[in-house]
Amino acid sequence: MKLIATASQTVGPFFSIGLAHLHQDSAKLNSADAQTITGTVVDGDGQPIPDCVLEFWASSSFARVPTSATGEYSVILEARTGMYEVLLFMRGLLKPVYTRVYLSEAAKAKDEAISKLVPTDRVHTLIAQPGNAAKQFVWNVKMQGENETVFFDY
Amino acid sequence: MTTPIEDREARKGTQPPYFFPGYVSTQKRAPLKPLILLPQNSSSLFSPVFGHDSVRPADADLTRQHAGEPLGERIVVSGKVIDEDGYPVRGALIELWQANAAGRYRHQLDDHAAPLDPNFTGCGRLLTDDQGAYRFVSVKPGAYPWRNHENAWRPAHIHFSLFGAGILSRLVTQMYFPGDPLFPFDPIFNSIPDENARKRLIARFDLKTTQPEYALGYQFDIVLRGAKSTPMETVHP
Repeated sequence: MKLIATASQTVGPFFSIGLAHLHQDSAKLNSADAQTITGTVVDGDGQPIPDCVLEFWASSSFARVPTSATGEYSVILEARTGMYEVLLFMRGLLKPVYTRVYLSEAAKAKDEAISKLVPTDRVHTLIAQPGNAAKQFVWNVKMQGENETVFFDY
Repeated sequence: MTTPIEDREARKGTQPPYFFPGYVSTQKRAPLKPLILLPQNSSSLFSPVFGHDSVRPADADLTRQHAGEPLGERIVVSGKVIDEDGYPVRGALIELWQANAAGRYRHQLDDHAAPLDPNFTGCGRLLTDDQGAYRFVSVKPGAYPWRNHENAWRPAHIHFSLFGAGILSRLVTQMYFPGDPLFPFDPIFNSIPDENARKRLIARFDLKTTQPEYALGYQFDIVLRGAKSTPMETVHP
Protein backbone atom coordinates (compact mmCIF):
# COMPACT_ATOMS: atom_id res chain seq x y z
CA MET A 1 0.00 0.00 0.00
CA LYS A 2 1.59 3.26 -1.13
CA LEU A 3 -1.36 5.61 -1.13
CA ILE A 4 -4.14 6.38 1.29
CA ALA A 5 -7.71 5.96 0.06
CA THR A 6 -9.70 9.14 -0.50
CA ALA A 7 -11.87 10.08 2.49
CA SER A 8 -15.56 9.33 2.45
CA GLN A 9 -18.23 12.01 2.87
CA THR A 10 -21.96 11.69 3.40
CA VAL A 11 -24.25 10.95 0.47
CA GLY A 12 -26.51 13.73 1.85
CA PRO A 13 -30.26 14.06 1.43
CA PHE A 14 -30.37 14.73 -2.33
CA PHE A 15 -28.57 11.66 -3.68
CA SER A 16 -31.45 10.67 -5.94
CA ILE A 17 -30.37 13.40 -8.41
CA GLY A 18 -27.21 11.46 -9.15
CA LEU A 19 -28.00 7.88 -8.17
CA ALA A 20 -31.53 7.31 -9.48
CA HIS A 21 -30.27 5.94 -12.81
CA LEU A 22 -29.22 2.78 -11.05
CA HIS A 23 -32.21 2.45 -8.75
CA GLN A 24 -33.82 -0.88 -9.44
CA ASP A 25 -36.30 -1.12 -12.24
CA SER A 26 -38.26 -4.05 -10.84
CA ALA A 27 -40.38 -4.38 -13.97
CA LYS A 28 -37.37 -5.83 -15.74
CA LEU A 29 -37.07 -8.86 -13.47
CA ASN A 30 -38.91 -12.07 -14.17
CA SER A 31 -40.73 -12.84 -10.93
CA ALA A 32 -40.31 -16.61 -11.38
CA ASP A 33 -36.57 -16.23 -10.82
CA ALA A 34 -36.79 -13.59 -8.16
CA GLN A 35 -36.99 -13.26 -4.42
CA THR A 36 -38.16 -10.12 -2.67
CA ILE A 37 -36.85 -8.52 0.52
CA THR A 38 -38.80 -5.71 2.16
CA GLY A 39 -38.18 -3.84 5.38
CA THR A 40 -37.84 -0.58 7.23
CA VAL A 41 -34.69 1.33 8.16
CA VAL A 42 -34.94 3.11 11.52
CA ASP A 43 -32.69 5.34 13.64
CA GLY A 44 -31.73 5.08 17.31
CA ASP A 45 -35.15 6.39 18.38
CA GLY A 46 -36.95 3.90 16.16
CA GLN A 47 -37.89 6.69 13.72
CA PRO A 48 -38.04 5.63 10.05
CA ILE A 49 -35.26 6.96 7.83
CA PRO A 50 -36.70 8.31 4.59
CA ASP A 51 -33.43 9.34 2.94
CA CYS A 52 -31.47 6.10 2.87
CA VAL A 53 -30.20 4.16 -0.12
CA LEU A 54 -29.43 0.44 0.19
CA GLU A 55 -27.17 -1.59 -2.07
CA PHE A 56 -27.44 -5.39 -2.21
CA TRP A 57 -24.34 -7.10 -3.53
CA ALA A 58 -23.76 -10.72 -4.47
CA SER A 59 -21.04 -12.22 -6.65
CA SER A 60 -23.27 -12.11 -9.70
CA SER A 61 -25.78 -9.39 -8.96
CA PHE A 62 -26.26 -5.87 -7.70
CA ALA A 63 -29.39 -3.93 -6.80
CA ARG A 64 -29.83 -0.43 -5.39
CA VAL A 65 -33.05 0.90 -3.84
CA PRO A 66 -33.91 4.04 -1.86
CA THR A 67 -36.23 4.08 1.16
CA SER A 68 -39.67 5.69 0.89
CA ALA A 69 -41.01 8.63 2.89
CA THR A 70 -41.89 6.07 5.60
CA GLY A 71 -38.43 4.49 5.65
CA GLU A 72 -39.46 1.36 3.77
CA TYR A 73 -37.63 -0.37 0.97
CA SER A 74 -38.40 -3.27 -1.33
CA VAL A 75 -35.83 -5.02 -3.47
CA ILE A 76 -36.14 -7.86 -5.96
CA LEU A 77 -33.12 -10.14 -6.24
CA GLU A 78 -32.26 -13.21 -8.24
CA ALA A 79 -33.19 -16.34 -6.32
CA ARG A 80 -29.86 -18.15 -6.47
CA THR A 81 -28.24 -16.54 -3.47
CA GLY A 82 -28.89 -17.03 0.24
CA MET A 83 -26.79 -14.07 1.42
CA TYR A 84 -26.17 -10.52 0.28
CA GLU A 85 -23.61 -8.00 1.35
CA VAL A 86 -25.55 -4.81 2.09
CA LEU A 87 -24.27 -1.24 2.10
CA LEU A 88 -26.39 1.61 3.46
CA PHE A 89 -25.80 5.27 2.69
CA MET A 90 -27.78 8.16 4.17
CA ARG A 91 -27.64 11.72 5.47
CA GLY A 92 -25.98 11.36 8.87
CA LEU A 93 -23.61 8.61 7.75
CA LEU A 94 -20.20 10.04 6.88
CA LYS A 95 -19.27 6.66 5.38
CA PRO A 96 -21.41 3.66 4.45
CA VAL A 97 -22.25 0.91 6.90
CA TYR A 98 -21.57 -2.67 5.81
CA THR A 99 -23.89 -5.44 6.88
CA ARG A 100 -25.27 -8.74 5.53
CA VAL A 101 -28.63 -10.31 5.15
CA TYR A 102 -29.00 -14.10 5.29
CA LEU A 103 -32.26 -15.47 3.93
CA SER A 104 -32.34 -18.47 6.29
CA GLU A 105 -30.73 -19.91 9.40
CA ALA A 106 -29.17 -22.53 7.14
CA ALA A 107 -27.51 -19.92 4.95
CA LYS A 108 -26.11 -18.22 8.03
CA ALA A 109 -24.92 -21.50 9.56
CA LYS A 110 -22.77 -22.15 6.47
CA ASP A 111 -20.78 -19.04 7.27
CA GLU A 112 -18.31 -20.03 9.96
CA ALA A 113 -16.92 -16.53 10.43
CA ILE A 114 -20.35 -15.25 11.45
CA SER A 115 -20.88 -17.98 14.06
CA LYS A 116 -17.39 -17.38 15.40
CA LEU A 117 -17.28 -13.58 15.42
CA VAL A 118 -20.82 -12.27 15.93
CA PRO A 119 -22.18 -12.40 19.50
CA THR A 120 -25.02 -14.94 19.66
CA ASP A 121 -27.50 -12.40 21.03
CA ARG A 122 -26.96 -10.11 18.01
CA VAL A 123 -26.82 -12.56 15.12
CA HIS A 124 -30.61 -12.48 14.64
CA THR A 125 -30.26 -8.96 13.19
CA LEU A 126 -28.62 -10.49 10.11
CA ILE A 127 -31.35 -13.03 9.33
CA ALA A 128 -34.41 -12.18 7.26
CA GLN A 129 -37.79 -13.54 8.31
CA PRO A 130 -40.10 -15.34 5.87
CA GLY A 131 -42.75 -13.04 4.42
CA ASN A 132 -46.36 -13.69 3.41
CA ALA A 133 -45.56 -15.73 0.33
CA ALA A 134 -42.85 -17.99 -1.02
CA LYS A 135 -39.62 -16.19 -1.91
CA GLN A 136 -40.64 -13.16 0.15
CA PHE A 137 -38.59 -12.02 3.10
CA VAL A 138 -38.67 -9.25 5.67
CA TRP A 139 -35.49 -7.67 6.98
CA ASN A 140 -35.39 -4.47 9.02
CA VAL A 141 -32.33 -2.38 9.81
CA LYS A 142 -31.83 -0.56 13.13
CA MET A 143 -28.97 1.91 12.98
CA GLN A 144 -28.25 2.12 16.71
CA GLY A 145 -29.40 1.25 20.23
CA GLU A 146 -31.30 -1.82 21.36
CA ASN A 147 -31.31 -4.50 18.65
CA GLU A 148 -28.80 -2.49 16.65
CA THR A 149 -28.05 -4.31 13.40
CA VAL A 150 -24.61 -5.91 13.27
CA PHE A 151 -22.28 -3.82 11.11
CA PHE A 152 -18.96 -5.03 9.76
CA ASP A 153 -15.50 -3.75 9.02
CA TYR A 154 -13.11 -5.39 6.58
CA MET B 1 -7.16 -11.96 4.49
CA THR B 2 -7.52 -9.37 7.18
CA THR B 3 -5.96 -5.98 6.65
CA PRO B 4 -2.55 -5.92 8.36
CA ILE B 5 -2.13 -3.79 11.44
CA GLU B 6 0.38 -1.40 9.81
CA ASP B 7 -2.14 -0.52 7.10
CA ARG B 8 -4.77 0.23 9.68
CA GLU B 9 -2.27 2.54 11.44
CA ALA B 10 -1.45 4.35 8.19
CA ARG B 11 -5.13 4.89 7.53
CA LYS B 12 -5.80 6.19 11.02
CA GLY B 13 -7.62 9.50 10.96
CA THR B 14 -7.93 9.53 7.17
CA GLN B 15 -11.61 8.52 7.21
CA PRO B 16 -14.39 10.18 9.20
CA PRO B 17 -15.91 8.36 12.19
CA TYR B 18 -19.56 7.34 12.19
CA PHE B 19 -20.44 9.30 15.34
CA PHE B 20 -19.52 12.97 14.98
CA PRO B 21 -21.88 15.02 17.17
CA GLY B 22 -21.07 18.33 15.42
CA TYR B 23 -22.84 16.88 12.41
CA VAL B 24 -26.15 16.53 14.20
CA SER B 25 -27.67 13.88 11.92
CA THR B 26 -24.98 11.38 12.99
CA GLN B 27 -26.24 11.41 16.57
CA LYS B 28 -29.18 9.05 16.00
CA ARG B 29 -27.93 7.31 12.87
CA ALA B 30 -24.34 6.32 13.63
CA PRO B 31 -23.87 2.74 14.84
CA LEU B 32 -22.70 2.77 18.47
CA LYS B 33 -21.84 -0.89 19.00
CA PRO B 34 -18.37 -2.03 17.95
CA LEU B 35 -18.00 -3.05 14.31
CA ILE B 36 -17.17 -6.70 13.73
CA LEU B 37 -14.01 -7.22 11.72
CA LEU B 38 -14.55 -9.87 9.04
CA PRO B 39 -11.94 -11.60 6.89
CA GLN B 40 -11.84 -10.45 3.25
CA ASN B 41 -12.61 -13.88 1.84
CA SER B 42 -16.19 -13.66 0.66
CA SER B 43 -16.67 -13.87 -3.10
CA SER B 44 -19.45 -11.33 -2.80
CA LEU B 45 -16.89 -8.66 -1.89
CA PHE B 46 -16.09 -8.55 -5.61
CA SER B 47 -18.65 -7.10 -7.88
CA PRO B 48 -20.19 -7.77 -11.22
CA VAL B 49 -19.94 -4.87 -13.67
CA PHE B 50 -23.19 -2.99 -14.02
CA GLY B 51 -24.60 0.32 -15.14
CA HIS B 52 -21.98 0.81 -17.85
CA ASP B 53 -24.25 0.22 -20.81
CA SER B 54 -26.45 3.18 -19.95
CA VAL B 55 -23.64 5.77 -19.76
CA ARG B 56 -23.58 8.07 -22.80
CA PRO B 57 -20.75 10.51 -23.62
CA ALA B 58 -23.20 13.41 -23.25
CA ASP B 59 -23.73 12.49 -19.59
CA ALA B 60 -20.28 13.96 -18.83
CA ASP B 61 -21.32 17.48 -19.83
CA LEU B 62 -23.75 18.90 -17.29
CA THR B 63 -24.02 22.16 -19.26
CA ARG B 64 -25.62 20.55 -22.33
CA GLN B 65 -28.56 18.62 -20.96
CA HIS B 66 -31.20 21.25 -21.74
CA ALA B 67 -32.24 23.65 -24.49
CA GLY B 68 -30.06 26.46 -23.13
CA GLU B 69 -26.89 26.73 -21.09
CA PRO B 70 -27.00 26.95 -17.29
CA LEU B 71 -25.96 30.14 -15.53
CA GLY B 72 -22.76 30.14 -13.53
CA GLU B 73 -19.02 29.82 -13.80
CA ARG B 74 -18.26 27.03 -16.29
CA ILE B 75 -15.74 24.44 -15.02
CA VAL B 76 -13.87 21.43 -16.36
CA VAL B 77 -12.91 18.83 -13.74
CA SER B 78 -10.49 16.06 -14.61
CA GLY B 79 -8.34 13.60 -12.74
CA LYS B 80 -7.34 10.00 -12.28
CA VAL B 81 -8.89 7.18 -10.32
CA ILE B 82 -6.18 4.92 -8.94
CA ASP B 83 -5.95 2.22 -6.29
CA GLU B 84 -3.78 2.28 -3.18
CA ASP B 85 -0.86 0.79 -5.10
CA GLY B 86 -1.08 3.55 -7.69
CA TYR B 87 -2.58 1.44 -10.48
CA PRO B 88 -5.29 3.03 -12.62
CA VAL B 89 -8.85 1.86 -12.03
CA ARG B 90 -10.16 1.37 -15.55
CA GLY B 91 -13.80 1.51 -16.54
CA ALA B 92 -14.89 2.73 -13.11
CA LEU B 93 -18.43 4.10 -13.05
CA ILE B 94 -18.55 7.64 -11.60
CA GLU B 95 -21.87 9.22 -10.69
CA LEU B 96 -22.02 12.95 -9.90
CA TRP B 97 -24.60 15.30 -8.46
CA GLN B 98 -24.48 18.91 -7.34
CA ALA B 99 -26.39 22.11 -6.60
CA ASN B 100 -26.68 24.75 -9.31
CA ALA B 101 -24.65 27.98 -9.35
CA ALA B 102 -27.13 29.59 -6.92
CA GLY B 103 -26.74 26.79 -4.37
CA ARG B 104 -30.04 25.03 -5.07
CA TYR B 105 -30.54 21.33 -5.78
CA ARG B 106 -33.16 20.15 -8.23
CA HIS B 107 -34.86 18.07 -5.54
CA GLN B 108 -38.33 18.39 -4.09
CA LEU B 109 -37.04 18.52 -0.53
CA ASP B 110 -34.56 21.35 -1.13
CA ASP B 111 -36.45 24.45 0.04
CA HIS B 112 -33.52 26.89 -0.01
CA ALA B 113 -34.84 30.24 -1.30
CA ALA B 114 -32.48 30.38 -4.27
CA PRO B 115 -33.63 30.00 -7.88
CA LEU B 116 -33.73 26.75 -9.79
CA ASP B 117 -32.08 26.91 -13.18
CA PRO B 118 -34.29 25.50 -15.96
CA ASN B 119 -31.12 24.60 -17.85
CA PHE B 120 -29.44 22.63 -15.07
CA THR B 121 -30.24 19.23 -13.57
CA GLY B 122 -26.94 18.67 -11.77
CA CYS B 123 -26.53 14.99 -12.64
CA GLY B 124 -23.56 13.46 -14.46
CA ARG B 125 -22.30 9.95 -15.20
CA LEU B 126 -19.08 8.76 -16.77
CA LEU B 127 -16.55 5.94 -16.97
CA THR B 128 -12.80 6.17 -16.43
CA ASP B 129 -10.67 5.38 -19.49
CA ASP B 130 -7.79 2.91 -19.84
CA GLN B 131 -5.49 5.17 -17.82
CA GLY B 132 -8.09 5.61 -15.08
CA ALA B 133 -8.65 9.19 -16.25
CA TYR B 134 -11.95 11.03 -16.25
CA ARG B 135 -13.17 14.47 -17.29
CA PHE B 136 -16.47 16.32 -17.06
CA VAL B 137 -17.86 19.80 -17.69
CA SER B 138 -20.24 21.59 -15.34
CA VAL B 139 -20.81 24.90 -13.57
CA LYS B 140 -19.37 25.68 -10.16
CA PRO B 141 -22.00 24.90 -7.54
CA GLY B 142 -22.97 27.59 -5.05
CA ALA B 143 -22.66 27.35 -1.27
CA TYR B 144 -25.98 26.80 0.49
CA PRO B 145 -27.43 27.01 4.00
CA TRP B 146 -28.51 23.98 6.01
CA ARG B 147 -30.07 23.65 9.44
CA ASN B 148 -27.33 21.79 11.28
CA HIS B 149 -26.54 24.73 13.56
CA GLU B 150 -26.99 28.50 13.72
CA ASN B 151 -26.05 30.14 10.40
CA ALA B 152 -24.73 26.89 8.94
CA TRP B 153 -23.53 26.88 5.30
CA ARG B 154 -22.01 24.07 3.27
CA PRO B 155 -18.87 24.94 1.29
CA ALA B 156 -19.38 24.51 -2.47
CA HIS B 157 -19.00 20.85 -3.40
CA ILE B 158 -19.74 18.20 -6.00
CA HIS B 159 -20.90 14.76 -4.86
CA PHE B 160 -18.99 11.78 -6.32
CA SER B 161 -20.01 8.12 -6.23
CA LEU B 162 -17.49 5.56 -7.50
CA PHE B 163 -17.47 1.82 -8.11
CA GLY B 164 -14.17 -0.05 -8.18
CA ALA B 165 -13.44 -3.75 -7.88
CA GLY B 166 -16.00 -4.51 -5.19
CA ILE B 167 -17.70 -3.33 -2.03
CA LEU B 168 -14.48 -2.34 -0.28
CA SER B 169 -13.60 -0.02 -3.15
CA ARG B 170 -17.01 1.61 -3.08
CA LEU B 171 -16.65 5.34 -2.39
CA VAL B 172 -19.07 8.21 -1.97
CA THR B 173 -17.38 11.52 -1.32
CA GLN B 174 -17.49 15.26 -2.01
CA MET B 175 -15.05 17.38 -4.00
CA TYR B 176 -14.46 20.88 -2.69
CA PHE B 177 -12.97 24.02 -4.28
CA PRO B 178 -9.73 25.73 -3.23
CA GLY B 179 -9.89 28.74 -0.95
CA ASP B 180 -13.44 28.26 0.27
CA PRO B 181 -13.97 30.50 3.33
CA LEU B 182 -16.51 28.04 4.76
CA PHE B 183 -14.05 25.19 5.44
CA PRO B 184 -13.37 26.07 9.10
CA PHE B 185 -17.10 26.04 9.90
CA ASP B 186 -18.24 22.87 8.13
CA PRO B 187 -18.62 19.79 10.36
CA ILE B 188 -18.91 17.41 7.40
CA PHE B 189 -15.54 18.48 5.95
CA ASN B 190 -13.97 18.63 9.42
CA SER B 191 -15.23 15.19 10.43
CA ILE B 192 -12.05 13.81 8.81
CA PRO B 193 -9.42 14.05 11.59
CA ASP B 194 -6.33 14.05 9.36
CA GLU B 195 -5.58 17.45 7.84
CA ASN B 196 -3.89 16.03 4.75
CA ALA B 197 -6.80 13.69 4.13
CA ARG B 198 -9.13 16.72 4.27
CA LYS B 199 -6.92 18.65 1.86
CA ARG B 200 -7.05 15.78 -0.62
CA LEU B 201 -10.78 16.43 -1.00
CA ILE B 202 -10.03 19.92 -2.32
CA ALA B 203 -9.59 20.07 -6.09
CA ARG B 204 -6.53 21.88 -7.41
CA PHE B 205 -6.99 24.80 -9.80
CA ASP B 206 -5.01 23.97 -12.93
CA LEU B 207 -4.24 26.35 -15.76
CA LYS B 208 -3.47 23.47 -18.14
CA THR B 209 -6.92 22.01 -17.60
CA THR B 210 -8.44 25.48 -17.99
CA GLN B 211 -9.84 25.96 -21.48
CA PRO B 212 -9.12 29.40 -22.95
CA GLU B 213 -12.24 31.50 -23.47
CA TYR B 214 -14.38 28.66 -22.10
CA ALA B 215 -13.98 27.19 -18.61
CA LEU B 216 -11.80 27.12 -15.48
CA GLY B 217 -10.00 23.82 -14.95
CA TYR B 218 -9.66 21.75 -11.79
CA GLN B 219 -7.75 18.55 -11.08
CA PHE B 220 -9.10 16.00 -8.61
CA ASP B 221 -7.49 12.57 -8.22
CA ILE B 222 -9.24 9.81 -6.31
CA VAL B 223 -7.70 6.79 -4.58
CA LEU B 224 -9.94 3.74 -4.12
CA ARG B 225 -9.29 1.16 -1.48
CA GLY B 226 -8.47 -2.27 -2.90
CA ALA B 227 -10.07 -5.50 -1.73
CA LYS B 228 -6.67 -6.58 -0.53
CA SER B 229 -4.84 -3.44 0.27
CA THR B 230 -1.26 -4.74 0.47
CA PRO B 231 0.72 -6.26 -2.39
CA MET B 232 0.71 -10.05 -2.25
CA GLU B 233 4.03 -11.51 -1.19
CA THR B 234 5.57 -13.39 -4.05
CA VAL B 235 6.30 -16.97 -3.09
CA HIS B 236 9.44 -18.28 -4.72
CA PRO B 237 9.71 -22.03 -5.07
